[in-house]
Amino acid sequence: MSLVTELILNADSEARYPAPKEIRIFQDFLKTGEQRIRIAQTLAENEQRIVQNGSARFWERCPVTPSNSGNPRKTASCQRDQGWYIRLVAYSVLAGSEKPLAEIGTLGIKEMYNSLEIPLRNLVEAMRCIKDEAVSLFSAEDATEVAPYFDYIIRALS
Amino acid sequence: MSSHTNGGSPIAYPQRYDTIPTAILSQVEQQDRWLKSSESKVLSNFFSSGAKRLEIVATLTQNANAIVSAAADRIFHNGSPMVYLEQPPNRENLPGYTVPPRKAAVRRQETLKLQTPSYGNPLRGLSEFLKTQLSDDRDPLPGGFRSINIARYGSVRMKRSMRDLAWFLRYVTYAIASGDSSILIVNVQGLRGVIPEDVTEATVVSMREMRWRSLQYFKKDAEAIAIIQEPFDAMITAYLAEKPPIRLRQGISNDQQGLVLPESYAIAASVRPKFVMKPHLAETEKQAVIKAAYRQVFERDVTREYGVSLAELESKFRSGEFSTKEFIRQLGKSRLYRDLFYAPFVISRVIELATRHFLGRGLSSPEEFQGYFEVISKGGLPALLDTLVDSQEYSDYFGEETVPYLRGLGLEAQECRNWGAQFNLFKFSAPVHKVPQFVTLFGEYQKPLPNQHPYGAGNDPLEIQFGAIFPHKDRDSDDHPAFFDRDSRRILISCEPSNGNGSHNEVTWGKVPGSLEHRILRLNSPVRSGGSGEKSSQGVSVNLLRYSPDAVVLGVYRQIFGREVFTDQRLTMTEVKVKSGEITVREFIRQLAKSPLFRGMYWDSLYVTKAIEYIHRRLLGRPTYGRQEMGRYYDLCARQGFYALIDAIIDSSEYIETFGEDTVPYERYVTPRGLEMRVRGHVNGSGNPLDGDRVYEGTWMKAALQRVNLDRRNAQLSFHNGKSGTLGVRVLETIDQHLVQPNSHGAEQAAYAEANPSEPYQTETGVPS
Repeated sequence: MSLVTELILNADSEARYPAPKEIRIFQDFLKTGEQRIRIAQTLAENEQRIVQNGSARFWERCPVTPSNSGNPRKTASCQRDQGWYIRLVAYSVLAGSEKPLAEIGTLGIKEMYNSLEIPLRNLVEAMRCIKDEAVSLFSAEDATEVAPYFDYIIRALS
Repeated sequence: MSSHTNGGSPIAYPQRYDTIPTAILSQVEQQDRWLKSSESKVLSNFFSSGAKRLEIVATLTQNANAIVSAAADRIFHNGSPMVYLEQPPNRENLPGYTVPPRKAAVRRQETLKLQTPSYGNPLRGLSEFLKTQLSDDRDPLPGGFRSINIARYGSVRMKRSMRDLAWFLRYVTYAIASGDSSILIVNVQGLRGVIPEDVTEATVVSMREMRWRSLQYFKKDAEAIAIIQEPFDAMITAYLAEKPPIRLRQGISNDQQGLVLPESYAIAASVRPKFVMKPHLAETEKQAVIKAAYRQVFERDVTREYGVSLAELESKFRSGEFSTKEFIRQLGKSRLYRDLFYAPFVISRVIELATRHFLGRGLSSPEEFQGYFEVISKGGLPALLDTLVDSQEYSDYFGEETVPYLRGLGLEAQECRNWGAQFNLFKFSAPVHKVPQFVTLFGEYQKPLPNQHPYGAGNDPLEIQFGAIFPHKDRDSDDHPAFFDRDSRRILISCEPSNGNGSHNEVTWGKVPGSLEHRILRLNSPVRSGGSGEKSSQGVSVNLLRYSPDAVVLGVYRQIFGREVFTDQRLTMTEVKVKSGEITVREFIRQLAKSPLFRGMYWDSLYVTKAIEYIHRRLLGRPTYGRQEMGRYYDLCARQGFYALIDAIIDSSEYIETFGEDTVPYERYVTPRGLEMRVRGHVNGSGNPLDGDRVYEGTWMKAALQRVNLDRRNAQLSFHNGKSGTLGVRVLETIDQHLVQPNSHGAEQAAYAEANPSEPYQTETGVPS
């Protein structure tokens, strides 16, 4: 689901042409297109760095946690998941809607981590660190595009 | 918490069409990777050409009427087709609501234009007419094409064609905005079956005319022309194409029944690639295939985490020593699969997960499950995997070289059962569910729950709505829908005052405290049959007090209408006849049921299922049993109508056996839900009958249940066959009651006295207290 899809679905359900207001929303979405692609590329290039730095920051704040327990497999799984979420955020930025993030990533996320016995509180903290790390890569303007999606994940987790 | 947090809902939201961003994202997402540079180039093109697209959309929207009118003029003659175009209502306060400042003026102009025949304005119209007729780039009319005479075409069909023309244009603007024609293809393909075949040619002509007309607004702009032409061409091609055949589920066995896959979902899902291994593939593509195999079998990309252990298999696969099928089999037999999906689970769940990984679907029937269970208990996991991978189904769908994929919504026609479990199984979080979901579901299919409903256990909001399906608005349907087919029967609870045992202090489960409905009213008329006057006069002396003809007539009204009707609504003439014995009570009821009042209450304003259900309860005193019985009534209603339905019910052998000629019908059975709603006494503030105390917490029920526990040996369970043989089994539970509970009894008596001050109190068995 992207913003475009949603607008069209809305118009279609009422059997009308896209309204001027919707076209304006659409225009804004298009105007920021270059910016969105740039953000997605930056996230892609820096995924590893964000994860590594974020983890380091996270372990500072919260040293007793599964990913810091010295078991390399646990560390790898946690970092894989973190990279995964960064990627989903990039999708959402591109689509201009949190739907991709919700459909693939956050539905049932709580239940999943609960059943894996990963402390949610630590996970939230980790996501915050990742968010800080990611946001620091961007200018203030770009950051406002990225940050809400991380917040969305954090909300889903807490 | 969002309503679908746990993913339990069987409600499906299929992808209906693609836009460029969604198409790209869904591919990228399926392969769990970042955007390729080619893809980001496509996206950035979309963004940069966006302004242009929107400009086009705005122009076309503005001139929509002119374009549609031009197209209509091309195919119709002898009148003004635009008169027939109905504008969609301009809804206030919704996103589509437009309030142009000069609205009034614009409107008047428009209506003027609509009223006058085309080219009404002499000067401008003439020039336009000439311009239109003389332009050389216009699509020629096909040979032998004759335009349609409006007068002969008829106003209904005109309205429809104008609506369709406007519709085509609207979807073209959508397609232009989304940069992808799939929304057109999805909606237009197969339309030829809907729009009459004889106007196919005219439709195509009008589409071409619309295209030409739209292009006129952008004469010099090559880019815009390309953008406009693409969706119109796609639409015409899609319209001309034959209606695609229906997609059904493959396989013929009973276990594999399935629904139809709508073409539109299939098209919208077609962008998801399938991975096929071929020897000449480039190294990166081979890598993609391997990753796809991991994603399917292990549900995740394992290389980063566990890279080492599978290197050998991978290299054999790469070199072509293993076919894809063999590779998948070996992955399944690997240590890793055993650790991830065998060791932590019970066997039933292992089987469910294995069908997901190796067949791309969930289990479809208990029989299938039993087969696999036998295999795994004899030969263990490897045997199960061999069975799955060597199965006919695997080779039908995936062959030797295709990597299995999830055969979910859009990729294949789904089965009509097990939706909730199937969707859960396809979720990323499936391995965290340790409880087998299919097996428990199959178990529930067998269990006759009182509130079973095909769309979820608790989804029969009002018990009266049986047979009609209205999803509950504020609740998610349960993901354990009942398996409810033609032969399923409702279980009804008996509330007959006595069911033949003669014991007068037994509990009937359906007896509602304080209800008055349980006295049987029988009319013993002295004068009806002249010869037996003497004999029945004995009965009269006893019965007159209890069942005076007036009381019986009143009782009939109460039963048939559910209340006492107003004086001027009563059928006085018929009343006199029944009181004098000229007609029987049965006849009286027939006439009441055929009266306009009854028809107005229970037939005219209701949909047929509900009407049948109500009438059946009123006249026969029990809810309907299920679809078979309903089906017969539907048939009757459709062929012969309301009066035949009444006759059929009143003349049925069940009626005659139970009530005979003189007894007033009474409620004999209730549904469990109905009982539950009444026993609780009052519906609490929220109005949701499911909130609040459960049934068995009501004091009366509690007392009855305690007695059951004390006196279990007295409990008896009798099975009672339906009066007409096909109707089946009703479970009637009667429990002896040794003590009459003083409190509730007193309350009942008081309530009774209050309601009927003139009559002495009767206990339910008819003995005066």
